[in-house]
Amino acid sequence: MKIFATLARGSLIAYTALFFAFIYIPLALIAVYSFNANPVNMMTWTGFTTEWYAQVLGFKTTISENALYLESTSQLVEALWNSLIIATSTTAISTVLGSAMAIALYRFDFFGRRFYRVVMFMPMLMPDIVLGIALLIFFVNSGINLGLTTIIIGQCTFLISYVFIVVTARLAGMDRTLEHASADLGANEWTTFRKVVFPQLLPGIVGGALLAFIISMDDLVITYFIAGVDVTTLPMFIFAMLRRGIKPEINAIAVMMLTFSFVIASLGLYLRSRQK
Amino acid sequence: MSSIAFRRRAQLAILLGPVSLFLAVFFLGPLAIMIVTSFLAPGLYGGVEWTWYPHNYGRILGFADPMFEDFDPVYIAIFLRSLKIAALTVVATLFVCYPAAFCISRLSDRWKNFCLFLITLPFFTSLIVRLFIWVLILRQTGLVNEVLLGTGVIARPLELIYTDGAIILGMVYVFIPFMFMPVYASVEKLDWTLVRASLDLGAGPIRTFLRIILPLTAPGIAGGAVIVFIPALGNFVVPAILGGAKVMMLGNLIEQQFLAARNWPFGSALAMMVMTVMLVLLFIHVVVSGRRGFDPATGH
Amino acid sequence: MRDSIVRLEKAAKAFATPEGQTVTALDAIDLDVKRNEFLTLLGPSGCGKTTLLQAISGFVQLDAGRILIDDEDITDRPPYRRPVNTVFQNYALFPHMTVGENTGYALEVAGVARAERTRRVADALRMVGLEGMEGRKPRQLSGGQQQRVALARAIIARPKLLLLDEPLSALDKNLRQSMQIELKTLQHELGISFIFVTHDQEEALTMSDRVAVLSGGRIQQLDTPRAIYDQPKNSFVATFVGASNLFEGEATRGQLVTKDGIAISHGRPDATGAATALIRPEQFFLAQPGDTAPSLDVDLEQIVFVGSTFELFGRTATGRRVIAEIPAVRRSLVGEIEQSRRARLAYDPAAVHLLPGEAA
Repeated sequence: MKIFATLARGSLIAYTALFFAFIYIPLALIAVYSFNANPVNMMTWTGFTTEWYAQVLGFKTTISENALYLESTSQLVEALWNSLIIATSTTAISTVLGSAMAIALYRFDFFGRRFYRVVMFMPMLMPDIVLGIALLIFFVNSGINLGLTTIIIGQCTFLISYVFIVVTARLAGMDRTLEHASADLGANEWTTFRKVVFPQLLPGIVGGALLAFIISMDDLVITYFIAGVDVTTLPMFIFAMLRRGIKPEINAIAVMMLTFSFVIASLGLYLRSRQK
Repeated sequence: MSSIAFRRRAQLAILLGPVSLFLAVFFLGPLAIMIVTSFLAPGLYGGVEWTWYPHNYGRILGFADPMFEDFDPVYIAIFLRSLKIAALTVVATLFVCYPAAFCISRLSDRWKNFCLFLITLPFFTSLIVRLFIWVLILRQTGLVNEVLLGTGVIARPLELIYTDGAIILGMVYVFIPFMFMPVYASVEKLDWTLVRASLDLGAGPIRTFLRIILPLTAPGIAGGAVIVFIPALGNFVVPAILGGAKVMMLGNLIEQQFLAARNWPFGSALAMMVMTVMLVLLFIHVVVSGRRGFDPATGH
Repeated sequence: MRDSIVRLEKAAKAFATPEGQTVTALDAIDLDVKRNEFLTLLGPSGCGKTTLLQAISGFVQLDAGRILIDDEDITDRPPYRRPVNTVFQNYALFPHMTVGENTGYALEVAGVARAERTRRVADALRMVGLEGMEGRKPRQLSGGQQQRVALARAIIARPKLLLLDEPLSALDKNLRQSMQIELKTLQHELGISFIFVTHDQEEALTMSDRVAVLSGGRIQQLDTPRAIYDQPKNSFVATFVGASNLFEGEATRGQLVTKDGIAISHGRPDATGAATALIRPEQFFLAQPGDTAPSLDVDLEQIVFVGSTFELFGRTATGRRVIAEIPAVRRSLVGEIEQSRRARLAYDPAAVHLLPGEAA
């Protein structure tokens, strides 16, 4: 019996190790092969090079033009720039609107509260393509030119939900008697909000904003439908590259993007673990 | 007293007014217009004609506008295949996540948090990059084929990419956190003294698993299944990258209607099918878990 | 200067339950709290004591009636404009502020200058025995220390009245007992009135100048601890405060006879009619042969040794339960009755208290 238990436990641990290997080995592979010098077959190791990174970052390299996407660097920079503009704007808007709604639904009991909750969960459950085409039809019918503005508006419709959910979770963990204590000690509602509620809510709001930023930077499907012809974001740029055929530069871009989101996500999760 | 009530109402209006307006115009509005569009006739050169035209739905089922088209089950076939791939994705994701959830739930708090961090982290990284990696691994000159050819296991490259299997693999890879979190939440809550009680009362490990562990973790499994199935069904990125032109799913079909064929009403009708499946699933989920005291508004 | 610091006049409050019923939490309560008084609200959960406290602090709006503090009507004032501070049951310390910031919060929101604030925070913390702890965060403190911070924070603005909502319930027994004494001392030093809410009758008796026993939204009795214990006004107070043996029956001159024929002698020759006699367990003693004191014969079911006393659980011939407490120093006598399983429980008629009417 004991042997069976040990055996079961051992195989469970082995399984879990495989589980993590499944998640992380591909990520590790791309990191390693992004330094592969082979310009044709990216998965056959022919030597170490940092030239792909140099190329992506706009330095002079000795790579032959056949191995590159034409003009990739300037297009990449433009796509990145667009993505940053969009992510910054959407983060600002959705953080304000999402937090306001979270606070309203937490503090006030009013008719239609459940309806708001349902609306907040809809974008998270709906396949994103549905929202993407709905927005496309809407923007075209209302005569708004597709571009940065439509992308920002479109992304906010679902980013508000993410902020809402993170801030609501934070609010739910807060102790209502602290507000009573503050009022009891002479602070009026506004002072109580400023000195007691908001400081405790802040990690939630920052967490929601970081999440919104990351998701905005990464959104492909909805942006893809409402971007129009002139504007390209980073994920759209890579998607287009993939459709044109794979060249090694893309490895370097991918690794840099992974590093960037790892840093932001780790920061966010670290902040969340600290607030407890 | 009434001035307090007035102030509260004013506060509520300030907090909720702008966001309500925004969502009404840019979220509910577009969805409503999409529903309307799905009942309109397609225009000749893209766009729509404002006439009642239910044949968009008929076309999905194979019976299109009887004036122009014959019975053609190509769309229903795509629909069914999408359902199949989404269902297989759910099953595969569950098999990947369930045992790991047990293992991780028994770790010390420190390790537990670290493992959860590792599982959530990929969710925050670029979806497209994560899928791209699998292209490198699976394609004809990809890692798997290179290794197998190099070691002489196979003589010619295997066809791994652009298959249903590749799509399912890609979706599993992307949806792991969606399944893991709800499953883990219910596994974590599992009271192990119940398992010990069952063993003590003479039930063997398999019986205990089927009678005690599985029913108690069923809410997590159901929750995970729903939130993996829905985005898998309407997914368009994964089949676009790992399915190539060979494997068509609902998502690609919808994209085609909007960006290539320019038949918006038919595309809207297809999107409505996805929404319908989603609503039916959610309804079942809410009714079933409602009997266990689940609040659909809060998700608990 | 009037004698009363807080007065409630016909304070009433009812709540609707989720099932659609109405629960009366406060049933037209009149209450006067004197200056410098330590008053305890004692009652089982749901008796209205917390509602009463929250009505005074302002978190519950009365349906009817008035609350006056120092003759000023504060019924419609919000909590932050009442000269009252509260020590909350779970302490409600702000987790994002240090001990010093928590303690000085009332002064900060009142706009007191930083220098004076620092000085008064130090004073308040010294009073509760936490000098020098200003820089700590609440979560770094033990339960007892958090309790003291909550106390310092509530007294720093010198409220006219301090409300304490079961503040000791989360502490272990030893700490609770020492805090009881400290609270009492602190109240004397500060010279402000305390209203203390508890469901622990021992705590209520130990600390209070007066105790108000609440039940069903009404004050059943408001008296000194001794009067509450020795002369309860009704059977609820008698059973809620301390253990009791109640004998309901018909009182005649010097005697009360129950329906099952038990006669209890009492020292009230004037009492007649329906009444209930109360004998506390410790008032019984084991009768010696030749004793003339009135007594009850019981069959013993259990004899429990609890350290300082033996608790005897017996039944009369008519099946009525009787509890008696015998000091443990009388061990030899207990040894005898342990053999016979029978005891004659004697009592002093003068110690028997008569309640009006029948026991509920």
